[in-house]
Amino acid sequence: MSDSRAREADRLPFRTRLTLALSAVALLPLLAFGALALVLGLVFLPSVAGLGAVLLVVLLVVALLTVPLVLFLVGEILRPLRTMVASVDRVSAGDLSEPVLVPGDDELGRLADSHNRLAADLQRRSVQVGRMLEAIGAMSPSHGVEALVQRASSDAARAFDLIEARVVLGSAADHPQGEVIPGESRPLRAELRAGEEALGVLVGLLPATRGWSRADQDLLELFASEVAVALRNAQLFATVESQNAQLRELDAAKDAFLRGVSHNLQSPLTSIRAYADQLATDRPDRRLEIIAEQSERLSRMVRQLLTVSRLESGAIKPRSEVMNLATRARRAWEALGAGPVPFSLNDESDGWLAIADGDQLDQVLWALLDNAVKYGGGAAIRVDVRPEPARARLRLMITDYGPGVTPEDRLRLFERFERGREQAGDGGSGLGLYVSRELCRAMGGELVIEPAGDAGAAFTVELPAEQAHEG
Amino acid sequence: MARRILIVDDDPNMLVLLADQLRDDGYETTTARNGHEALRLLSGGWPDLVVIDMMMPGMDGLSLAREIKARADLPIIVLSAVDAGDSKADLLEEVAEDYVTKPYYYPELRARISRVMRRLNDRLPRRALVLGPGLTLELHHRQAVVAGKPVRLTPTESRLLYALAANLGQTVVSETLLARGWADTEDADPSYVWVTMSRLRQKIESDPNNPRYLQTVRGVGYRLMADE
Repeated sequence: MSDSRAREADRLPFRTRLTLALSAVALLPLLAFGALALVLGLVFLPSVAGLGAVLLVVLLVVALLTVPLVLFLVGEILRPLRTMVASVDRVSAGDLSEPVLVPGDDELGRLADSHNRLAADLQRRSVQVGRMLEAIGAMSPSHGVEALVQRASSDAARAFDLIEARVVLGSAADHPQGEVIPGESRPLRAELRAGEEALGVLVGLLPATRGWSRADQDLLELFASEVAVALRNAQLFATVESQNAQLRELDAAKDAFLRGVSHNLQSPLTSIRAYADQLATDRPDRRLEIIAEQSERLSRMVRQLLTVSRLESGAIKPRSEVMNLATRARRAWEALGAGPVPFSLNDESDGWLAIADGDQLDQVLWALLDNAVKYGGGAAIRVDVRPEPARARLRLMITDYGPGVTPEDRLRLFERFERGREQAGDGGSGLGLYVSRELCRAMGGELVIEPAGDAGAAFTVELPAEQAHEG
Repeated sequence: MARRILIVDDDPNMLVLLADQLRDDGYETTTARNGHEALRLLSGGWPDLVVIDMMMPGMDGLSLAREIKARADLPIIVLSAVDAGDSKADLLEEVAEDYVTKPYYYPELRARISRVMRRLNDRLPRRALVLGPGLTLELHHRQAVVAGKPVRLTPTESRLLYALAANLGQTVVSETLLARGWADTEDADPSYVWVTMSRLRQKIESDPNNPRYLQTVRGVGYRLMADE
């Protein structure tokens, strides 16, 4: 390498070589032609007729001599150019590491220098862009504004090789562009803008030895705008976080409140119920039974209201326990204390157990049975339990033999605070079907009203189920 | 010897009533009006079971239950108006053997109490039980760690596993499991045990059809095995 460099360094400047080559190409054939013509003319001139042939021979010889000469000269001139083309190709392909070596101070040397400077600039900028992208990629809104400001400052100094850099939040006008004094470190400035919003300014100091071009400034501004976006995201994130925290607090407060209300209502009801039961054991009395039943009823209503509020906040988390659906329905019926209303239970679900939350299932069963009593007008109530093996489901259908549900009511039945129009005056909460359907869905099941048939209304509870077998 | 129950409730009506009812059913009862009184009573002697009202002024039921659990592994039944949607339901499940939602019906509470009493001879240390490389039971947290991932257990599932783990490697008959898992008022029959076991296998076995830990002893019951 050093040999060839030394050899190339001995060469004449490009301009001189070009001049010499062009002159040689123009003059050499002429000189050769003259010389040949002179020699041949002296030998053969006496015969004028031979002149044409002489000229022809001379032309041929000169042409033959000239072609290799031209090829050689062209090759010589193009050699450094070829080196440069290869180098520019490398640069285009992204390899900025190797400079073009063209010695001397001629045009080609200067061209190579200029190319090398460009390549070095490109390389420096690509390193800067790399660091910038890395810095931008590492910015996360969750870091918080303070941390982002710190990071962005040090990242900017690192990415742009600055003496120092600082991100200042607030009005950009407080930090005007500093004066550039030759020989001293140069103040830099880029505004932090996210869209229309100005968040502050990025200021820095460039070493006096370094140049700062328009492209560098563009890069710095690009970085500043990314920092601005990240800062704004961090601000928004912080806002959302604090709102979330508030919501969580509110949620906890609501939970505590509901717990309190529920406790304060249910505790006395428990006492009433328990004392009524105790008295009834000592001295049976229908009035004591009514006290017990009605306090029980009141408790169920309180629980239903709580469930509604839980449903609204999406906080129903049913447990999955196994239970016999028909047994559960019979117990729910007994707890309801509906007195003389005829009740029949048809259980075809032998060997099948429902997967449900007992407390929640009870709420559903009470609501549906209560409705059946209320709207059945004292007529019999029938409960059918059947498995649906293909879907691993149990279906429990509650049928009353009352007037049924009108087509227009069917559509609105499951909405909150809706009751059948006919029975609007009976004082129910209008929440039963809504709550029941939501609870069924939370347990992975469903609640539907059956198509109108001959008799009354029929509702079907569908729940996940498993067939029991040992093993 | 009569089983001893400590009842903690700030409502004097409830306290007197419940103590009377339980005494009538043959339990020996002591009562406390708040958490501090309860802890004082506990330092004088351990009952077999503590019944705690969730909502009390000062130290609430959950804090008291935690205090008690920090001192000894006493079974605790919590009376509460908390339902499954409450943010404290999970915390409650960790410290309480069972919880009975208010308003409770005495026969229901009595059935839950006698179910807890039935398991008193089953003793397990309150720590993780490693059954094999892929299965650890953390019953005091109502969870199993299956292949490194925690899996929630229902209260019934953890009760059955507790009974099996207390007799590790031995067959526990289905009737015993039934009595451990369910209160008498729940009308459970052996099919409840079968289905719960099958669901448990889905949760803790890598191949539920070919169980490695939770094995059936056909016609008799189940046993829990640890890897050699």
